[in-house]
Amino acid sequence: MKLGLTRACFGCRPICYTTSLPSSTLNKPQIPIFLRPPAYSATSLDLRKWHEWAKGLAVSVGSSFADADNGPDTNLLCRELNWLLQDSLEDPKHDIRQSNESLMLRTSLDDLYHLWKQRIEQRRPFQYIVGCEHWRDLVLSVQEGVLIPRPETELIVDMAFDEISKNESLGQGLWADMGTGSGALAIGIGRTLGTRGRVIATDLSPVAVSVTTYNVSRYGLQDVIEVKQGSWFEPLKGFEGKFAGIVSNPPYIPSEHIPKLQAEVGRHEPTLALDGGVGGMDYLIHLCSGAATMLRGGGFFMFETNGEEQCKLIIDFMKNELAGRFCNLNAVPDFSDIQRFVTGVRR
Amino acid sequence: MLSLILKKSSHRSSLVSPNPCTSTNLIALLFSFLLVDKDSSRRPNSPTSCQKHSILASALSSFLLNTIRNQSGPHLCLSKSRYNSYLNWRGKVLVSGFGVLKRQFGGCHSALLPRFVLSCSSNQGLENLRRFCSFSAREAAKLSTSDGLTVDGIVASKWAIVDESESDWKSHAAAIAQSIQIVKKRLQWRKLIVRLGLLSSELNKPDLWDDPEHAGRISREHGSLMGKMKEVNAFEQELLEHIDMIKLAREEDDIDVESESLKALLQMRINIKEKELEALLSGEHDTCCCYIEVQAGAGGTESMDWAEMVTKMYKLWAERRGYTVTVVDQMPGEIAGIKRATIKVYGEYAYGYAKAEVGVHRLVRISPFDSGKRRHTSFAAVAVIPILGDGFTHVQINESDLRIERFRAGGAGGQHVNTTESAVRIVHVPTGVTATCQNERSQHLNKASAMEVLQSRLDQLEMARREQMNAQHTQSLTNISWGNQIRTYVLHPYRMVKDLRTNYEVYDPDSVLEGELDDFMLSYLSAYLDEDEKKISVSL
Ligand SMILES: C[S@@+](CC[C@H](N)C(=O)[O-])C[C@H]1O[C@@H](n2cnc3c(N)ncnc32)[C@H](O)[C@@H]1O
Repeated sequence: MKLGLTRACFGCRPICYTTSLPSSTLNKPQIPIFLRPPAYSATSLDLRKWHEWAKGLAVSVGSSFADADNGPDTNLLCRELNWLLQDSLEDPKHDIRQSNESLMLRTSLDDLYHLWKQRIEQRRPFQYIVGCEHWRDLVLSVQEGVLIPRPETELIVDMAFDEISKNESLGQGLWADMGTGSGALAIGIGRTLGTRGRVIATDLSPVAVSVTTYNVSRYGLQDVIEVKQGSWFEPLKGFEGKFAGIVSNPPYIPSEHIPKLQAEVGRHEPTLALDGGVGGMDYLIHLCSGAATMLRGGGFFMFETNGEEQCKLIIDFMKNELAGRFCNLNAVPDFSDIQRFVTGVRR
Repeated sequence: MLSLILKKSSHRSSLVSPNPCTSTNLIALLFSFLLVDKDSSRRPNSPTSCQKHSILASALSSFLLNTIRNQSGPHLCLSKSRYNSYLNWRGKVLVSGFGVLKRQFGGCHSALLPRFVLSCSSNQGLENLRRFCSFSAREAAKLSTSDGLTVDGIVASKWAIVDESESDWKSHAAAIAQSIQIVKKRLQWRKLIVRLGLLSSELNKPDLWDDPEHAGRISREHGSLMGKMKEVNAFEQELLEHIDMIKLAREEDDIDVESESLKALLQMRINIKEKELEALLSGEHDTCCCYIEVQAGAGGTESMDWAEMVTKMYKLWAERRGYTVTVVDQMPGEIAGIKRATIKVYGEYAYGYAKAEVGVHRLVRISPFDSGKRRHTSFAAVAVIPILGDGFTHVQINESDLRIERFRAGGAGGQHVNTTESAVRIVHVPTGVTATCQNERSQHLNKASAMEVLQSRLDQLEMARREQMNAQHTQSLTNISWGNQIRTYVLHPYRMVKDLRTNYEVYDPDSVLEGELDDFMLSYLSAYLDEDEKKISVSL
């Protein structure tokens, strides 16, 4: 949170931080609101007042954010407001419209005012505010410094699952999630693997490593997923030719697009997780080459891309520069029909 | 079930002693007297002992009881001494059943025997009794007490039904009679009787077994229908016997017997209430969970507020019943209320009850949104979709027939966009049926719930196609006509909720809006059975 607040307060976008912050603060992941103890009391009347105030702010937004940069409109903000309330209440089903009773909250009323103000005035992403993102059937802890997993990325787990059900040996093998962020892909895949299947999740960012470690333990997958810090394949030395599957959603936004991003993304999410260099392909190309050395024969890879153009370039690159190493190269569309993923099999 | 045991006492044995000499010009009574004792050698109906006297399988009619009492009975060839000795020896007499006397009254085999059976107290005796029992459908319709009271008669006399805790035999009897009627309706009683008649005559054909497969089918169906009928008859009979017994006991000032009968009636009332519920909720899909959909009618905020109240009413109803409720989809109104909502009600029999709610619900009140404080009428339509469990066949959905739309900001997507908008809409292209889910916080889960809704909608569409008869339950929101009002909720100028289909009404709208809907549902469901019955009588 410290990171995000600092950034938000100074109104500047984060620059690449790797080791610039003391690791003691970074290694202690934040607990999402809904998992905190209900240690604060408030009356339902006060809560109703807050809710009214917050709704007023949401209404005042109208479609201005949407018009400016595809941000949230009033409707969506109202839904978020109810989720914030649900996460904060000891009993999420509690109806605060009832009389004036005293109830227990997981965060203080002052914080609720503060948090909602940040949501509207600074466009701080809702997921950072509540400290979690609902992704597939998982609830993943997230915080400033870690990319909030996107719904498109859910499809990678579906595809991995399909591959594993077609070829059971994949499910008993070793997988890698490169640039794991919150650990979304590693956990999603880790839960579909067979008893002998394992995942190594890597990330350069120490925040990502600590958040992933926390999420992995929340889902009891410590024995399945190993989290390693380092740049791309560096922490995987010695595993060449061993992987049954490699997945990655690396930073792929062309640097030239970074200044124009939606406020929630550009102002708050880590550039390290977004910026793919000029053209956006720096890391993807690196990953393609790495996959050629790290995958075993018959091993499967799946990368998320910025869209059709990147998909084409990757497939061309693999067919030409890495000729003969891969087969079944495919561009796979996401649900908006944008060619989003490239998949292939190591010969 | 057969529980009424008459303690032997001298005055009672005299009571049931027939006068062998009295004769009557009434129809000859056929009855058999089945006497059973653990010591079979002393069984009066063993072959030796029944040479002379007819052996009474089970029946002693109410009519007979009367005649016994009036000392002017039918032509009963049973010596007083023998009967008395039976009573003395037996010690106990149990009342129940039907019977046909085989010998003695040769030539009268087929005559009907009114109710009232002297039998024995052991279960074994009951079994034997059942074995000897043979009744036809027409006999079944004649059950009555000694003074001619029938189950229908009890219902018609509209005795007040008060709480179970009150020891009022009339109230118990009325409640039981009502339940019996509902169970009968559910069984399509009249149709069942006609069918049984047909099956019996078929079974009596000498060449029946020429076609063993056909014969097997006929006898199986006969057995099954007979079983159902006997069960209901047994209830009826038990009720009437208890009433007789209470009346007798009162005449005889026998408080023990009276209170025992009263206790037995109460137990019956509890048992048959369960049977009644089973009967009301015995539709093919009644046990299923369901979706309840509410849509605001025309009239803007006013109706949207009402739609929200209706949705809340069902949530509260479901919680009361111990069901789990989740909101699948909800479209809020601009100012207040909701345009549309889908809730999922999870629990046994959710659909069986909720299907009674399909139609348009009307509200009359002073509008909280009208500064002029005028009276407004608002409408909300309700549809209910069963969620067919694993035991049912589902419509097969081809992935390729689906168009899956996710609501999200346009543009490049992926890492460019952060949104919590995760709504999913699925269109089944061939039928145009759609399902939307936006309540979950991830697309994955929204898609999964939207798929479930879609599956249920398609299943229901298929059901509607197959069983035109139940069409009213299977109506989807798009098919419900706004003219199809089923219930009115008046908050002003008077306070009342009235079901327009059954005329069931209550004067406390708040309790109804807080989810007290069971009585509305049950009264509709039993009225719905009436309709079924009417249809049958027309078709016969
Ligand atoms: C777009 S995010 C994806 C996060 C996560 N896999 C997901 O899909 O939500 C890219 C991730 O790559 C990580 N990353 C950036 N540069 C890296 C590097 N040189 N080595 C390893 N990981 C890196 C970032 O820290 C970030 O977590």
